[in-house]
Amino acid sequence: MKIALSGLNNTDNPAPGIGVAKGLSGHELVGLSYDPNEPGIYQRIFERIFLMPYPSLGFEELHERLAYIKEKSGIEMVWPNLDAELPLYIKHQEQLHEMGLTTFLPTLEQFAMREKAKLATLCEELGILHPQTYMANSIEDVVDITRRIGFPLMIKGNYYKAYRANTLEEAIEHSYTIANEWGFPLLVQQIVEGIELNYAGVADGKLYGGFCIKKLTTTDIGKVWSAVTIRNEAMEALAHRFVEHTRWRGAFELEAIATNEGIYLIEINPRFPAWIGFSVDIGLNLPRMALALAMHETVEPKFSYPEQKMYVRYVDETVCDYAEFTKLLATKEL
Amino acid sequence: MLLDEMRIDENDVGFVPSLGITFQLNETGKRIVELLQEGRSKDEIVLALSQEFEADWKRVYRDVEDFFLKLKVYGLMQ
Repeated sequence: MKIALSGLNNTDNPAPGIGVAKGLSGHELVGLSYDPNEPGIYQRIFERIFLMPYPSLGFEELHERLAYIKEKSGIEMVWPNLDAELPLYIKHQEQLHEMGLTTFLPTLEQFAMREKAKLATLCEELGILHPQTYMANSIEDVVDITRRIGFPLMIKGNYYKAYRANTLEEAIEHSYTIANEWGFPLLVQQIVEGIELNYAGVADGKLYGGFCIKKLTTTDIGKVWSAVTIRNEAMEALAHRFVEHTRWRGAFELEAIATNEGIYLIEINPRFPAWIGFSVDIGLNLPRMALALAMHETVEPKFSYPEQKMYVRYVDETVCDYAEFTKLLATKEL
Repeated sequence: MLLDEMRIDENDVGFVPSLGITFQLNETGKRIVELLQEGRSKDEIVLALSQEFEADWKRVYRDVEDFFLKLKVYGLMQ
């Protein structure tokens, strides 16, 4: 199986692609990148690399590029891993299938149900707690909302970035930072104090596999740097409930806060997290399970994994010819 | 009560498996957790520790009271 996947950034703001690739070792892999500086390009994981048009250019550009990549490299499956590109791939799954490209993605309806702005409704349907969250379409909105919910609070982008604000000045500054990069709307969310837990899973109408972690250390923007596997019955029950309710298809990540009052669901990502390589090392290869489901193979559900295994991300170095970088820059492929 | 699920290793590190949180315990703290997990009351724990460590029960009571407060602050007991 030749699979093209995106999300090759492997800095302290890592994308899921490298972790997914770890789970798919043995398959021929092609890397899809938006930036020649992404370290994953040079890690000798991918047999070919192609630069991609930004999702904002629309499906026509994407279709044309994928057709070219398929012709050049013979890819059979496309596996997007980035929040900003997922809507385009999800919306046009049928066209991708018509091109002969397999995908394993949720439907547009499933995708929409877990959007940050609609999460409160989904949480109500699931009977799970959710912090108060308001959408802001301007800085004025942000200021109004802060008056309503008080400090501290979180300022979140619709796709990326989330900052804690302790004062109005910080809230405004963070709002500008996110809006300048990603635009409006922003989300202003009440902070729930507790212990953050994360659950990564794979589903196809029912839950086939998943595991739970607690972050031990994070980068400045909250990305996992080290973590430990845990078993939390409430999180496992939530994962089952979420999948059964939405009939979810594909990978997902639940981000939650455990408090004395119960679990607060704060976010559902419609893809694997960047630490998904952890699943491979604990014998629960979720990317491989997702691939098998995509291929309509028989998959036995698996939820057993060792507790108290520690994940540690670290920095590595590699050397390549500068000509690789310039070739990618000039020709958009390697 | 989260304390019920705490596992204490050979280095006296208590780990709560459902939340992934750890606590470094001293010898007395470890003993109090063990006694609580056996279902002993505060008075029973004070009595047991006074005998085991041959210490004045009033001092032991203050230490146990203080430890209970910490357990509550950390959300390990109600």
